Amino acid sequence: MMKKTVIGLNLDYYIRAMIGAFIGVVCLFAPYTIRDGEWYSFFTAAFKLISIKAGIGLNIFLFLLLPLVILSGVFAVINFVNTSVKGVKIWQAVQIASTVLWTLILFSSKSIFEKAGLYSGFLNKNLSVGYWLGLVSAYFTLVMIMKVSETNTGYIVLSILSIIWLFPVLWILLTALRAEQGYYVGYFFPKGLTLKNFINLFSNGGKLPFGRWWLNTLIVAASNCVINTLIVLGTAYVLSRTRFKGRKAFMNVLMIIGMFPGFMSMIAVYNILKGFGINQSLLALIVVGAAGAAMGYHVTKGFFDTIPKAIDEAAIIDGANRFQIFTRVTLPLSKSIIVYIVLGGFLGAWSDYIFPSILFGDKQSSYTVAVGLFWMTDFKRIDTYYTQFAAGAVIVAVPIVILFIWLQQFYVDGLSGSVKG
Amino acid sequence: MKNTESSIAYKKRNFITIFTKGDIFSKLSYFICGLANMKNGQIVKGALFLLMEAAYFVFLFIKGIGLLKELGTLGENLQGMVFNEDMGIFEVISGDNSMLILLYGVVTIVITAVFIALWLTSIFSGEHARQLREAGKHVNSFLEDVKSLFNEKIHILLLSVPVAGLTIFTVTPLIFMILMAFTNYDAEHQPPGNLFDWVGIKNFITLLSSSDRLSSTFWPILGWTLIWGVLATFTCYFGGMILAIIINSKGIRFKKFWRTIFVIVMAIPAFISLRIVATMLGERGIFNILLQQWGFTSSSIPFLTNVAWARVSVIIVNFWIGVPVTMLMVSGILMNIPGELYESAKIDGAGPFTTFRKITFPYMLFVTTPYLISNLIGNFNNFGAIYFLTAGAPNSLEYFKGAGKTDLLVTWLYKLTKDSNDFNFASAIGIIIFVISAVITLITFQRSQAVKNEEGFQ
Repeated sequence: MMKKTVIGLNLDYYIRAMIGAFIGVVCLFAPYTIRDGEWYSFFTAAFKLISIKAGIGLNIFLFLLLPLVILSGVFAVINFVNTSVKGVKIWQAVQIASTVLWTLILFSSKSIFEKAGLYSGFLNKNLSVGYWLGLVSAYFTLVMIMKVSETNTGYIVLSILSIIWLFPVLWILLTALRAEQGYYVGYFFPKGLTLKNFINLFSNGGKLPFGRWWLNTLIVAASNCVINTLIVLGTAYVLSRTRFKGRKAFMNVLMIIGMFPGFMSMIAVYNILKGFGINQSLLALIVVGAAGAAMGYHVTKGFFDTIPKAIDEAAIIDGANRFQIFTRVTLPLSKSIIVYIVLGGFLGAWSDYIFPSILFGDKQSSYTVAVGLFWMTDFKRIDTYYTQFAAGAVIVAVPIVILFIWLQQFYVDGLSGSVKG
Repeated sequence: MKNTESSIAYKKRNFITIFTKGDIFSKLSYFICGLANMKNGQIVKGALFLLMEAAYFVFLFIKGIGLLKELGTLGENLQGMVFNEDMGIFEVISGDNSMLILLYGVVTIVITAVFIALWLTSIFSGEHARQLREAGKHVNSFLEDVKSLFNEKIHILLLSVPVAGLTIFTVTPLIFMILMAFTNYDAEHQPPGNLFDWVGIKNFITLLSSSDRLSSTFWPILGWTLIWGVLATFTCYFGGMILAIIINSKGIRFKKFWRTIFVIVMAIPAFISLRIVATMLGERGIFNILLQQWGFTSSSIPFLTNVAWARVSVIIVNFWIGVPVTMLMVSGILMNIPGELYESAKIDGAGPFTTFRKITFPYMLFVTTPYLISNLIGNFNNFGAIYFLTAGAPNSLEYFKGAGKTDLLVTWLYKLTKDSNDFNFASAIGIIIFVISAVITLITFQRSQAVKNEEGFQ
């Protein structure tokens, strides 16, 4: 074991990191793939590719992998002789690059071999021990180097998860910009980029009243913001700050109502709306949304519960009535929860599908974006509308995502409010 | 708050004694609403009560009684063709519409219930005025009553709109729906062409214990709903918690950046991200294309069309959407865990895993139990995650028409109402969902501290 100590480094893991780096180098000579007893190591595969002039393309991963893995082994030795924080950092950077390449090889081996004509019908299960051991040792070495350099290994997990999480987002962005129409394309990156999908959504040439749908949803969302927020705030305030006969009973009734699946009684709602003469209109959506808003009082009540009652009592002594306390004392103290409700009301309108779909049937001009976009992805239409669907999804999602990220803190406050009950 | 009642409590009367011990005005006000108010100086209030009563009885005698009578039979005249001798042709005569009869009947019952509530209010209000007057105290004028709406009666002011909204658009439809579960309003009994009738609890028997196809659809779907609910809830819960712990751990820089990446997925409206992923998972979707190009498989994987694959897919996709939500919530709570706990654990030589098992997780579980329960119930009823992704597919021939192997009870309910018009079974399933949710909530919330201790933070 090493007896040296260097400030900023944890040398307990050094030997393990070094062994890992050496295993990586050894793996370059081990079988990369095996077929019918005949095998290529990474070196022989690379030489073969050069000798048949296979070009660059994805082969670059293989060509870069070889020097980087060896370089990592070299740095393991250099740092062993002359340990310094800077040296370990460089070694770590090299190892990150080689780990990424080991991973990329997993996804590109098939095209590397098949394009070069070395192997037809290649599948990743044909990869051999040299590759798998190399991959595992790369990650092992990286973790150990990070332990030596006292870097949080969580970065590895976060990077991998981020790529997985953002993959569908990237796909839909690329599809929205794709010039080639249609659902099925045999590749990830579009061959041509265009903004036509966006333009088609709004111009009449695209035949879709998407602008109308968008406006409809905006109207509903804006009304929801105002009306639902007022109703939720009022209900929550009364249930939190005042005590009256029937208060508990009222809360229990709300809880019981909330346990029924809301949309099961929609034919009754539909007929009642018909009785009022507002079925198939946006007003119906707004009214029904407002009517049920009180059921979402929990989080806000939980928030109001945490405001000390002494503040109310002081205001009463100053001669304020309950309504004034509500508007001038409680509400100014509740900025974060108000933003939470407004945000929730606004976002909810963009996602609401079931009720609008029942309400509007095939009256396309009243659709909200949720109903409209769902309509576009029906399997009968998906080939025609897929890129426009993607463009529509981007148009709807981008403002919401920005709004959400901007107001994230309020949402978190509300969320932890719901936890507090 | 001022307590005006306490001084006259010794004379307090209940619903019966107001009548037996009251004077002639109190007695009469049982029949003529508002009389006691008027006699005791609240003319406008009394008049309003009287007006309300008059309006109700006018409604009752003109329409209400007829509507209630029809409710018993749900209509008897079938729509049909009658030969018109004058014209020499067959004419369509409209029959009774059972669905509207049921709906109007329910509306009448709700109106009656509202009337009874107001009637009781008027009696107690009159009695209250009488007591104040006898005690020689000030009786509120109408204007003062209105003013009190902004002060001690603020709950009436602020709750009237929500209560009215809930009564019209939630409670009435709900009663209607519950009653529907006891009729035979299915695909074969569609008004206006056909009548439907009361059948008692037959629908529940058919669903729960018969050799009927409905029953052999119900139980597997219930089973999958429960499995789904538990898996969806706990995968997201633990996944989000681990992610939050990693992001919040010491030595991770740009915490906000990492959090934002996951929040992006969460901020996209769920139906959009679910539809996108559904198209990506199709047989010719991008996932299958890439998996083949990358050499992981030589033929496309039936992500959404094979039963086992589809079930795994919906859980994984739900994980993708649900983890950021838990991550955000847990991030907030993690900061509240007392730091000394971790320091003393570190001194005792506890590793990250032990710290999680002994400190973070128990604390988290304690704080988030109510959230976990409501999340569990939410997932049993997670319409979007299933409907937008698979729409219940793959469909199964063993199941009742249209139901599929990834259908939850809610999505099946939706299909029964929207596609096959079997409203009676849909309603029965809704009631069963309610019972399941209610039982889970009762068992767990009874024990939960957060609910009992409503005023704990004040």
